[in-house]
Amino acid sequence: MTTSDVIDPIRLQVIWSRLISVADEIATTLERTAFSLIVRDNKDYACALYDARGVMLAQSSQCTPGQAGSTPTVIAAMLNSYPADVLTEGDVLICNDPWIGAGHAPDVFIAVPVFRHAPSDGVSGGTLAGFACTCAHQADMGGRLGAVDARDVYEEGVIIPVSKLHRGGERNEELYRLLARNVRMSEKVLGDIDAQIAAFRVGARGIRQVMDDFDLKTLTDIADQITARTEDMFRSALRRLPRGRSDAEVFHELRDPDGNRLRIRLSMTVGEGEVHLDFTGTSPQVPMPVNAVLNITRSYCIFPFVATLCPELPMNAGAFSPIVLCVPEGSILNPLYPAPGMYRSLLSYFVVEAVMSALYQIAPDLGMAASGTYPLWIEKFAGTRDDGTEFLSHYNAQGGQGAFRDRDGVSAVVFPGNIATTSVELFELEAPYRVLSRELRQDSGGAGRFRGGLGQDTVMLCLNRTPVQVAFGGGRFAEPAQGREGGLPGAPGVICIRDDQPLTMSGRDMMQYGDIVRFSQPGGGGFGDPRTRAPEAVARDLALGYISAGAAIQVYGAASTETD
Amino acid sequence: MSPTEYRIGCDIGGSFTDFILYDASTGAVVTLKVATTPDAPEQGLTAGIDHLARQHAALPTSLKTLIHGTTLVINAILERKGARTALLTTAGFRDVIETRREIRYDIYDIRQIFPTPVIPRNLRIGVAGRIASDGTEIQPPDPCEVKTVLRRLADDGIESVAVCFINSYANPDHERQIAAIAEQAAPFLSLSLSSEVLPEVREFERFSTTALNAYVKQKVDRYLAGVEDALASRGFSVPLYLMQSGGGIVTALTARHSPVRLAESGPVGGVLATRDLARLAGYPDALAFDMGGTTAKACLIRKGEMPVTSHYEVDRVHRFKRGSGTPLAVPTVDLIEIGAGGGSIARIDDLGRLRVGPDSAAADPGPACFGRGGVLPTVTDANLLLGYLDPADFVASGIVLDPNAAYTAVQRSIADPLGIPVLQAAAAIIEIVNESMSQAARIYSAENAGDLSASVMVAFGGGGPLHAVDVARKLKMPRVIVPEAAGVFSALGFLMAAPRYETSRSYPRRLDQITDDMLTGIFDELRLQAEAVVAGAAPGAPQSHSLLADLRYVGQGHQLRVRIEQSERRIIADAFRRDYFDIYGYCCDDINIEIVTLRVEACADLPGPAFRPLSHSDEPAEGERLAWDDAAGAMIPHRTLEFAAIRAPLEGPALVSQRGAVVRIARGCRALRHDRGWLEITMEAGPS
Repeated sequence: MTTSDVIDPIRLQVIWSRLISVADEIATTLERTAFSLIVRDNKDYACALYDARGVMLAQSSQCTPGQAGSTPTVIAAMLNSYPADVLTEGDVLICNDPWIGAGHAPDVFIAVPVFRHAPSDGVSGGTLAGFACTCAHQADMGGRLGAVDARDVYEEGVIIPVSKLHRGGERNEELYRLLARNVRMSEKVLGDIDAQIAAFRVGARGIRQVMDDFDLKTLTDIADQITARTEDMFRSALRRLPRGRSDAEVFHELRDPDGNRLRIRLSMTVGEGEVHLDFTGTSPQVPMPVNAVLNITRSYCIFPFVATLCPELPMNAGAFSPIVLCVPEGSILNPLYPAPGMYRSLLSYFVVEAVMSALYQIAPDLGMAASGTYPLWIEKFAGTRDDGTEFLSHYNAQGGQGAFRDRDGVSAVVFPGNIATTSVELFELEAPYRVLSRELRQDSGGAGRFRGGLGQDTVMLCLNRTPVQVAFGGGRFAEPAQGREGGLPGAPGVICIRDDQPLTMSGRDMMQYGDIVRFSQPGGGGFGDPRTRAPEAVARDLALGYISAGAAIQVYGAASTETD
Repeated sequence: MSPTEYRIGCDIGGSFTDFILYDASTGAVVTLKVATTPDAPEQGLTAGIDHLARQHAALPTSLKTLIHGTTLVINAILERKGARTALLTTAGFRDVIETRREIRYDIYDIRQIFPTPVIPRNLRIGVAGRIASDGTEIQPPDPCEVKTVLRRLADDGIESVAVCFINSYANPDHERQIAAIAEQAAPFLSLSLSSEVLPEVREFERFSTTALNAYVKQKVDRYLAGVEDALASRGFSVPLYLMQSGGGIVTALTARHSPVRLAESGPVGGVLATRDLARLAGYPDALAFDMGGTTAKACLIRKGEMPVTSHYEVDRVHRFKRGSGTPLAVPTVDLIEIGAGGGSIARIDDLGRLRVGPDSAAADPGPACFGRGGVLPTVTDANLLLGYLDPADFVASGIVLDPNAAYTAVQRSIADPLGIPVLQAAAAIIEIVNESMSQAARIYSAENAGDLSASVMVAFGGGGPLHAVDVARKLKMPRVIVPEAAGVFSALGFLMAAPRYETSRSYPRRLDQITDDMLTGIFDELRLQAEAVVAGAAPGAPQSHSLLADLRYVGQGHQLRVRIEQSERRIIADAFRRDYFDIYGYCCDDINIEIVTLRVEACADLPGPAFRPLSHSDEPAEGERLAWDDAAGAMIPHRTLEFAAIRAPLEGPALVSQRGAVVRIARGCRALRHDRGWLEITMEAGPS
């Protein structure tokens, strides 16, 4: 066709968006067939497609940034263990090694090689076209339950190095048995692994269809073009930033064994269409499960740039190269084996905070106050019900987002990760607990010209005769989310069991029948001097109960609290 | 000769109110379009009926049914024009409708916002009373407290109250107690109980659906009263029926209790008409494809059944982003809406890609070629440049198409930035819009386990027939049917709907923990409720009912809506495994199955209208014009003719015009007009 040269960008665009829609199809299938609440309701998963070399082509629209940023290294590692010539139709590869994948054992990656022509005549045939890969957070991968105090990775569950879970269509029963013997609620976990595999039927069919429709012999050229165009787009977006250098330091309330607060130190240089992030000076890795592997750090370094400059950027390998990282080996953001990392999101979301701070200094309009939404709050409950059956349930509810220069922060929302909250009614069906209340927390949003989002209060009552093991994951107990430009910090987080002293850090405890626990997620920081907040906004916040009368007068300087 | 018996289908849309008058004794059909009167929609409706009555003198005495779909509910929500509404809930849970699911609907958009709840926080009031997850009472409500709260709300001018208690799906007693107290203490308050509106587990979905119900209830009530008065004053004694989002029709009385079930009443009509037309043409599996000015809709019919979902949402902050709206979890036709219509604007985005829609020039200013001040290129502009539209076809509607304006718009916004010729830019706009419609349809079909290659496409709406062949080719669909009167197809579908009502109850239990008797008891109760509603709409008509169960494996979160033959556990389990295998290609034999919700759908068996050709035109009006051919990459001659004039099989390339729509039959396609009116197009080889 004579017009092929000029129409090419359109053709590329069509193929490209078709590939993204294949990734979305895989995601939908996974979500609908998954067993674990954390995949199906909290949507803690990612799906992606690759060419035969392992270059990422597309990722699903619904995914968590941390997992999605990790999938490229997984396929590379898989190809390293199993080069193209030892892969056959019907193979299923699995891996949950934190250093290859997404930093903790529950994130299990499963990939299948996709062949263009199935061997129809018995001859081993077909050319490797690429891979479809999913990462899903499994309900359990063994290890100590909710090892909030793990000192090494061995306490955090079974690690499966790159392996074949199916060989040419046959299940690798040894590996299945090994898993079944090592994880809690293995029926659910293996069911989810099967759901991941089933989702590939859709994915493999979709990839082949795209290749047929557009008469593609390989995906390699397409991958190169997609990668190059994405990189170009990202670099031109980065060119909108003023060139320059800035430094940021974020202290975390967790302390290393010497009693020093964990520190993320960042030196950022904005160059010509690229950004260098140097984390030299960041705390060394710690014997606590908060170390974030390089894949996770990279994901959350890219996130703020995409989110503030080009949220429509398609995510693939081309989005990685313009952000150049220097993260010291052996630090909390690039830990070495066998550092524990089960609760890396207690720390990793603060990478976004560090980058946003550095960004704010050179492009103040992009700035926002710190959020009460990090760390992520997830509470795990496990035990034996009074009828003898086992349960393992999660409850998650999040704090408030920091305010922007021109807008209030959103209350009770997940950020920068992206998983959904637990329904109280579903939770009460799953766990022997009653939720006594769950409401927005008055005055928890940091005051400011624009107010931080509110955190929440949840109170729940234990109804199990046998004690329940609880792993409490939360934070900002001592370091609330700070405001900007005169905005005040949000309220700190509180976890209080019975009438005991509030926790000072995430940890484990037993709850008895009749015990009450209160979770108070932190609020986001405010932006700007609260006394400059529009009086109508203060009056509305007061009428709706987001702020108290005391705060309206004392913090916002309202003349009176009479409302009409 | 049988006495005249008229039925009227009436679809009140955003711009037009469409009527179909059907004479059941002769099978004759008359169509009419009048302008919608948004501020008082009953005026447009009565104007149309008056118009029809002038033409058909027997109408007031011979009208047997008036079936009506309306955008009133959706508009009241979108425009926040509902009643002053309050929410009464379990103390400690007043923020459920505000804190939502907490997830962001777009991972890389950190500034996203969510819809504002229709009930502000100061009108959401917690009171004593608690039911456990198994339905046992933990703490009763305090009648004094409730009385005080309700009186205060009434004094403050509140008109409607949503009553939403935690776990009320498992035991509605507390909500009913509130209703009983309200009847005494504040009789003028209109109440919506979550255990009646949506007795299903998950508090956010149930509360928000009930809140929306309470919010629109009064408005719907007044509107229906207005329509009934207007009909009565004209001497019509006909009962008024309303189309529900899930496909059945109900009486105005039923509709007033559960107005949220009317939210998607318009699109349902087109889907039902598609179902019946495809069935008549011999295709049980069909894709309804409706493309209008701002959006396109697609709906997959499998085995002759319209798909119904309870994952519907309204009031989206971003119209085409799932999760950015508020759930309205009542049975709703499961269709997708895509931001692609004739008015969709083409542009080059920040990242250098050609995008079409979802922004639309709509009717105002409209496409550049309308000459009403629009300067941005739209799909209609591209279609005009490519020769698919004939300016002569628009003269009747008073629009003078200006090809020069279309040319300038495409050149400036698309061709020059991309460095390609204008015609190719126009072809690229069509390619991208067709691609985005077909991709959305493909994902949607995968989600619903459809097999498009074995389905027929039924194309209607102003743009459906024009884009159908390209979209069908992309979807590997072998056949396209274009009905007569493609422009008023939805209103026709109303006449095909039977009185139908679905009742449901959440009953979260493992299948092995209940007995067949327990199941039968619940199903019987639901059946009686549903049958009573249907009997109200079709007194004395024979009824059939279906048992349905939302089922899943223990531990899963997504449930399948499974049709079951008998309320026996074994049969239920088999039906679930069969459907699961159908959809996902495997099933788990060793995992228990659990019930989430039981449902009964009752339906009156009444015959709908048959399809007949509207009229035959003797006007040959056959000609030829140049239009774009993708494979050739150039303008080539296309035959042009009138829909009603088609007699012999027709080979593409050809352009067939009917009132308000053009059918494009691309090269390699063949079209046949069926003797009952519709046009059937078969694909041959795809594009090179």
